[in-house]
Amino acid sequence: MKKALVKLLGKEKGQMFRISLFSIAISLIVGSVILILIGKNPLSAYGNLLQGTGILPKYSYAGRQNMFTDFMSFLDALTPMIFASLAVSVALKCGLFNIGVSGMMLAAGFAASVTVGMSGLAAPVAKPLVIIIGILVGGLVGGLIGWLKYRFNINEVVSAIMLNYTLMYIVTFFINSFYADPVSRQSTPVTDASRLTLVGVKTMGLKIDIPLAFPFAILTAVLIKFIMDRTTTGFEIKAVGLSHMAAEYAGISIRNNIIKTMVISGALSGIAGVTYFCGYTGSIQPGVVPGMGFNAIAVSLLGNSDPIGCIFSSFLITILSKGAIYLSSQQGVDIEIADLITAVILIFAACSEFIRIYVTRTVAEIDQAEGER
Amino acid sequence: MTDTIIIDGLAFALPMFVMSVGGIFSEKSGITNLALEGLQGFGAFCGSLAAVLFAYGFAGSSRMPYYLSYLIAFAGGMLYAMLHVLLCIKFKANQIISGVVVNILAVALTTFLTKRINEALFSEKSNKFVLETSMRFTVPGLSRIPVLGAVFTNVYPFEVLIIVIAVITWYVMYKTPYGMHLRACGDNPHSADAAGIDVNRVRAIAVILSGGLSAIGGMSYAYSISASFSPDIYLGFGYLAIAALIFGNWSILPTLGACLLFGFARSAGQALIQRLGMPSTYNDLVRILPYVLTLFLLIFFSKNNRSPRALGEIYDKGKR
Repeated sequence: MKKALVKLLGKEKGQMFRISLFSIAISLIVGSVILILIGKNPLSAYGNLLQGTGILPKYSYAGRQNMFTDFMSFLDALTPMIFASLAVSVALKCGLFNIGVSGMMLAAGFAASVTVGMSGLAAPVAKPLVIIIGILVGGLVGGLIGWLKYRFNINEVVSAIMLNYTLMYIVTFFINSFYADPVSRQSTPVTDASRLTLVGVKTMGLKIDIPLAFPFAILTAVLIKFIMDRTTTGFEIKAVGLSHMAAEYAGISIRNNIIKTMVISGALSGIAGVTYFCGYTGSIQPGVVPGMGFNAIAVSLLGNSDPIGCIFSSFLITILSKGAIYLSSQQGVDIEIADLITAVILIFAACSEFIRIYVTRTVAEIDQAEGER
Repeated sequence: MTDTIIIDGLAFALPMFVMSVGGIFSEKSGITNLALEGLQGFGAFCGSLAAVLFAYGFAGSSRMPYYLSYLIAFAGGMLYAMLHVLLCIKFKANQIISGVVVNILAVALTTFLTKRINEALFSEKSNKFVLETSMRFTVPGLSRIPVLGAVFTNVYPFEVLIIVIAVITWYVMYKTPYGMHLRACGDNPHSADAAGIDVNRVRAIAVILSGGLSAIGGMSYAYSISASFSPDIYLGFGYLAIAALIFGNWSILPTLGACLLFGFARSAGQALIQRLGMPSTYNDLVRILPYVLTLFLLIFFSKNNRSPRALGEIYDKGKR
C-alpha cells in the first residue's frame, strides 16, 4: 500500500505535479460520494460539467451553437481568472498577500468602462487603450498598497481590505448616480468597439464569443514565469520574499521590491478587471465586490503559486464554476454543489505539502528497510 | 442624533469586536486566521437553524430559543474551526490557503444546506432562515445620563454577552498560565516547547475558541442587521474583524478601540445622510467613511505594529 503510493507519486522530479493530480483525483471521489448521497449519478454529473464548458459534446444544441461556441465562452470566463491568479502568485513570491485583487479589478474595470468603454473610439484604438487603462489603474492601487506598507508599516492585508470596500462603494455610487442602466440596474454596457470579447461573431453558421485577451493571458503567464526564474528582477523579488534581512544584507532594496511587486500584481489584477468587466460581462454590477478576486487566491495556491500552474488550476476551477450552470439545469441539483466540490478540491490541495512530506519519509523508510536486508 | 450614532455604532462594533478577539486568540498562538469570515457564517448558520427549529418547540413568547441559538452557534463555530485546526496543525497546510478554503467551503456548504433543509423540512424553496429581530432593553436610570446614557439605551442582549466574554477572554489571555503559554507559542514556539508546553495543543484550543467567538459575532449580525440567515451574512465582516485586530496590534483593548471607531464612523455616516436629507445614492459615498478613516489613522498608529513573531509558521519540532 505504502509502496504503491510512493511509486504513484514518484520521488523527486514532477512530484508536486503528481501530488496535485492525486489530490484532485481524491477530491473528485469525495465529490462523487456527495453526489451519490443526494441521489445523482456522479459520472453523468461530471460529464455535464465538461459538456457545459464545451469539452465534451452536449446531446443537443440550440441554433447557431455547438461545442466550439461553448468552449469559446468557457475561455472567455477563464481569461480573467488566469490574470487574477497570476496577480496573487506574483505577490506571494515577495511574501505579500494580495487580498485586494477584487478591489483592483473593480477599479480598473470601472475606469476603463466609463472612459473608453463609453466613448466613440474605433476598435483598433479602443481595445489596447482599455488594457492600458486597466494596467495603469490596477498598478496605481497596487503601488499605493505597497507604498503604505513600506512607508507606514501598514499591513497589506488591512489596507487591501479597506481599499476593496472603499473602491466598491465609490464605484457603486458613480454607477447608481450616473451610469446605471434602467432595465438591468447594472452599469451601461461598454461599446462593442471597446469590448475585449467579440460578442456573437457569426462565422461558419455559428455565433461565437471570441475572448481576444486569452492568448495574451497565456503569454503573460509565460512572461511572468520567465521574469521570476530567469531575471534579476525576479531573483530580487523572491529574495525579499524569503527573508527581508538576508535580502537587505545582499544589498537588495526591500522598499523598491515591495512596491515593484505590488505594482506588477496590481497591473495584473487590473488586466483581470478589464477582461472581466469590459470583456466577459460587459457591464458592472454595483454594490458587489467580485468574488473572483478571492477565489483567485485559492486558485493561485492550488497552482502552487507557479505562473504555469496557475493556468492549469484556473482551467480546472473555471470548468467547475462555468460548467455548474449546465450541471444544475441538467440534473436539477443546486448550483452550489459545484462550489462544494471546488472547496473539497482546495482542501485536498492544501494538504499537498503533508502528502509530500509523507511520501519523502516513506521513501526513506523503505530505503532503510531494504538497506538492512 | 448622537444617541443613534452611539446605539447603532455599538450594535455594529461589538459583534465585530468579539470576532476580532477570536482572531487575536488564534493569531497570538501563531495560527493565521483568515477563516473568521467562514467561521462566523457557519456559526450563524448553526444558531439560526437551531432558532428556527426551536421556535416550534417553545411557546411564542419564550426567550429560550434565543439563548439556546447562541449556545448552538458557539458549538457550531468551534466544531467548524476544527477543520482549520486539522488543516493547519495536523496536515501542515499553508495557513492562508486553509483560511481561504475554510471560507469558500462555509459559503458553499451553508447555502447548500439551507436550501436543502428548507426544502426538506418546510417544503419551500428559500435560501433563508428568517429570524425575529432580537429584543432590546433600556437600563432605567442610567439611560437618563446625557450623551453617555445612549450606551444604556436600546441595548441588544448580545452586547452585554460580548462585554462579559471580552472581560473573561482578557483575563484568560493576560492573567492565566494558558494565556501566557498561548502568547509564547505565537512568539517562540521552540522555547515554549522546551519549557514543556504542548505547542500544537495550545494552538488547537486557541483556534477552536476563535471559531466559537466568531460564531457569536456572526449570530449577533444574524439577529440584528439582517434578521435572518442567508448567504448575505458573508458581507466581509470577518475580514473587517481581521483588519481591526491588526489595527489593534494584536491586543484586546486597542482592538476594541479600533472596532468602536469603525462602528461609530459607520453610524455617524448614516446619521449624516438622514440629517442632510441627501438622495439615497449618496449612502454609498458615505459608507466609505469608516474604511477611509481607518486607513488614514493607520498611517499614524501602525508605526510600531508588529505581528506575533511565529505567526503563520508551521511548527516543526525538528527545526529547533
